[in-house]
Amino acid sequence: MTPSSDDAILVQDLVKRFGEFEAVKGITFSVRRGEIFGLLGSNGSGKSTTIRMLCGIIAPTSGRARVAGYDIESQSEEVKHSIGYMSQKFSLYEDLTPFENIRFFLGLYNVDRSRWKERMEWVLETARITEVKDRLTRDLPQGWRQRLALGCALLHRPEILFLDEPTSGVDPVTRRHFWGFIRELSEQGITVFVTTHYMDEAENCDRIVMIDLGTIVAQGSPAQIIREVCPGSEGADLNEAFITLMARSAP
Amino acid sequence: MSPRNVGAVMRKEFNHIVRDPRSLILAFIIPLSLILLFGYALSLDVENVRTVIVDHDRTRESRDLVRHLASSPYFRVQGHLESTAEVSVVLDSGTAAVGVIIPPGYGRDITADRSSPIQVLVDASDPNFSNITLGYLTAFINTYNQRLLLKFLDKNGMPAIEPPVDGRIRVWFNEDLQSRKFIIPGIIAVIIMIAGAMLTSLVIAREYEAGTMETIRSLPLTAVEFLLGKAVPYFFIAMTNVLIAVLLGQVLFDVVMKAEFSLMMAASSLYICVALALGLLISTVTRSQLLANQGAILLTYLPSLLLSDFVFPVTNLPRVLQLISSIVPATYYIEILNGIYLKDVGFALLWKDFAVMVLMLAVLSGLSLFILRREGL
Amino acid sequence: MSWVRIRELVRKEFIILFRDERNRRVLVMAPIIMILVFGYVVNYDVKDIRVAVVDQSRTRESRDLIDAFDGNRTFRVVEQSADQDDMERSLLEGRVDMVLRIPPDMASRIRKGKAAPVQILVDGSVSNMASMRIAHTATVLNDYNQTMIRRRAGRTMEYGHVDARVRTWYNPTMDSKNFFVPAIVAFVIMLISLLLTSIAVIREREQGTLEQLIVSPLRPVEMILGKTIPYIVISLVQMTLVTILAKYWFSIPIAGSLFLMFTATCLFLLSTLGVGLFISTVSSTQQQAMMTTFFFILPFFMLSGFIFPIDNMPVVVQWLTYLNPLRFFLMILRGIFLKGIGFNILWPQYLALVVLGTALFAGAVARFRKRLD
Repeated sequence: MTPSSDDAILVQDLVKRFGEFEAVKGITFSVRRGEIFGLLGSNGSGKSTTIRMLCGIIAPTSGRARVAGYDIESQSEEVKHSIGYMSQKFSLYEDLTPFENIRFFLGLYNVDRSRWKERMEWVLETARITEVKDRLTRDLPQGWRQRLALGCALLHRPEILFLDEPTSGVDPVTRRHFWGFIRELSEQGITVFVTTHYMDEAENCDRIVMIDLGTIVAQGSPAQIIREVCPGSEGADLNEAFITLMARSAP
Repeated sequence: MSPRNVGAVMRKEFNHIVRDPRSLILAFIIPLSLILLFGYALSLDVENVRTVIVDHDRTRESRDLVRHLASSPYFRVQGHLESTAEVSVVLDSGTAAVGVIIPPGYGRDITADRSSPIQVLVDASDPNFSNITLGYLTAFINTYNQRLLLKFLDKNGMPAIEPPVDGRIRVWFNEDLQSRKFIIPGIIAVIIMIAGAMLTSLVIAREYEAGTMETIRSLPLTAVEFLLGKAVPYFFIAMTNVLIAVLLGQVLFDVVMKAEFSLMMAASSLYICVALALGLLISTVTRSQLLANQGAILLTYLPSLLLSDFVFPVTNLPRVLQLISSIVPATYYIEILNGIYLKDVGFALLWKDFAVMVLMLAVLSGLSLFILRREGL
Repeated sequence: MSWVRIRELVRKEFIILFRDERNRRVLVMAPIIMILVFGYVVNYDVKDIRVAVVDQSRTRESRDLIDAFDGNRTFRVVEQSADQDDMERSLLEGRVDMVLRIPPDMASRIRKGKAAPVQILVDGSVSNMASMRIAHTATVLNDYNQTMIRRRAGRTMEYGHVDARVRTWYNPTMDSKNFFVPAIVAFVIMLISLLLTSIAVIREREQGTLEQLIVSPLRPVEMILGKTIPYIVISLVQMTLVTILAKYWFSIPIAGSLFLMFTATCLFLLSTLGVGLFISTVSSTQQQAMMTTFFFILPFFMLSGFIFPIDNMPVVVQWLTYLNPLRFFLMILRGIFLKGIGFNILWPQYLALVVLGTALFAGAVARFRKRLD
């Protein structure tokens, strides 16, 4: 695989071992600029470990990866300036109000002081939480908190947005709205890297990598994967393809 | 009450303990290090008071005084200095605690049968130290003056005078006046509070924080069974600690029980139960681990150390604190411990303390049960 | 290093700390309660020695001796009986601190010019207090003897004797609180800075917010400053509060320089915050952090000279105390409060705090990695 300037993320032979257990067994893939990329797999397949390595939360055991053109190990500071991250567990301060949370992250990302007001309003409006900005975050409904978290991850206009299981525990209406928003971001040129185990959602992705037990089992666009895995069956969807793949890899 | 239900809660609690080995190890290491510290290192007794001398007189008489001071077991003469200013420097920096300054003309005064003033400077910052040191000093000067008087009488051909009253002071209960003889038994009370109340104060709060209290409420489990199951594992931890403490005290530090071992076990079991009941009550009321821990330190550890007549005499306390001291469980346990370790008294003298602890146990566990029942358990 | 980031971290830390009313109360009340309790409880003053008397002599001489005790401010005769067993039982039950037994032949022996043995039983359970009581008893007996000798001789015996003029320096009234209250200043600071720092980091880990910080461009040094500055501020405020209480409530004179005290506190905080950070790196739950904190505080407290004098410890343990920052901080505080000494004498202690503080803090920072694994 040759690096090209079109690649937002480049992953090569990435391995992560926790003691005896090998969670990620040498995976290689790339993500192009501006696309919505889905990393799919069941629970414990290694997708969270992968996204956490790419964001610099944990160090890889071996292998290399470049995010936004920077090496994740030697240039981790540059990487962090170019990415936004939203974890599957709500990870903003519940004892702060949305307003205080946003202000904190504006400071954390060193956003220029002259743009604070504009970014603050942008987040409050996009997340539709303007009227509750002075209530404690703890008291907000799950869906609202999720929107706030997403807003905070976009405060500093990152090139790449990492979303780790962003829609778990969210109702279908909010979920649809959410994917509409992701599409908008992608049109603005932001690369979106999302992990999920909801196959119906994954259809929204431009490209997909499916992993199981730490290895890649399929990659390509959703349509491509369905065609390859379930040839001949009309109306097959990703779900079916996924189950077929799982059955194949099972010993 | 079903023993099987109690057993189930107990097993669950036991698993919790075993899965957090650090807390378990600390629950043993903290008591152990306390015993070792107090046995080997910490003492309130004063000996070898570091003393410096300024002898401006340099006569036979002044040298005689210094020689007697140096041969006393309580003072250790560290050296001779030239001036009072030098004494003030060593006292300031803490390298010596007492300075004796003999003025010029001391020897002349003594031989001329006059009283002769010497100056003694004492670093009195630490009241325990300085009180005892002053006692030693007074005793030393009295004895020395007695010698001088006899010499005087002898010189003038008068018959020796015996002091009218000869105080034969005998010390009971702690004959050698070693502080570890009372601190080690006392520390057992503190250890039980750490191992018992501080650990258990977290166990019910943990269920509330993790949300598992809901599940427990839905089970066919009574409040009594729940509390008992929570308490039993910690009872054994605390009891093991007591046995280790007793054994170490006896083997390493020669702190030996004078009364029956069985009485000690009975008192300890009762006190552990009181401690556990207190811990569980704190846990039930606070429902937060951080608050429970702070509460446990404030309500169990500090009072048993400070308000229990352990190191600091209750009679010295202001009235309000004396009243508080009478509702601190450790006060009664420490009284029993002193009775068992130092005085060799039996149940006949100690039953009142036992009775108070039984009453405390009843009140504390009653309150926990009441709160839990109201919660629907 | 970005000051904006640090400022925002500090602001966030303060908001979270003070939003909870219970926290506010603990932060203000804990030091006040501690200083009040310690100020009143930790007390070695010898007063009110309870005496039981068995007077088998019943003469003027024996009554004079009893009066000598009862008239003394420190002693109080609470029980009198002819039966020695009764009195010994009182001692056993702890109703009295000592028993004075005057034998039947006391007066006759004194009149013959012979020494009359008087038996004194002292409850030695609490050995240091017993030592003090014995010393007071000896003084009363000596005074009595002087009076008796004078009375028999009909005049003052003029002989060459030592007249010791004792001056108690630094704490002339030998008041316990003068010694202990300054130490509580140190203890409060240690407890708060150690526990709160470690909890503050662990709470982020437990709530998952630490992950969000790790993916941000926040540098470890900014994180550490952001986590420690709030507790430095709180500790200094508490120190001021406790010092004011010490001076105006307990009327403890501060003989030395407040500036030196302040500098020493900052140096001491370097050590405690270092240990706090260290605890946060080795604990994953609040319970573990609290137990570990307790484990550190215990030896710091016991081996500092707070209550138990370092001079009394075995040499090996005395060496160990040189690793204890609280030991040096206490020497500085007591030196400043009581002795009014300055940097020219205290510089070795300051140096020790600098060395220990730098080592502990640097060690903790090195461990405090930004990554989670």
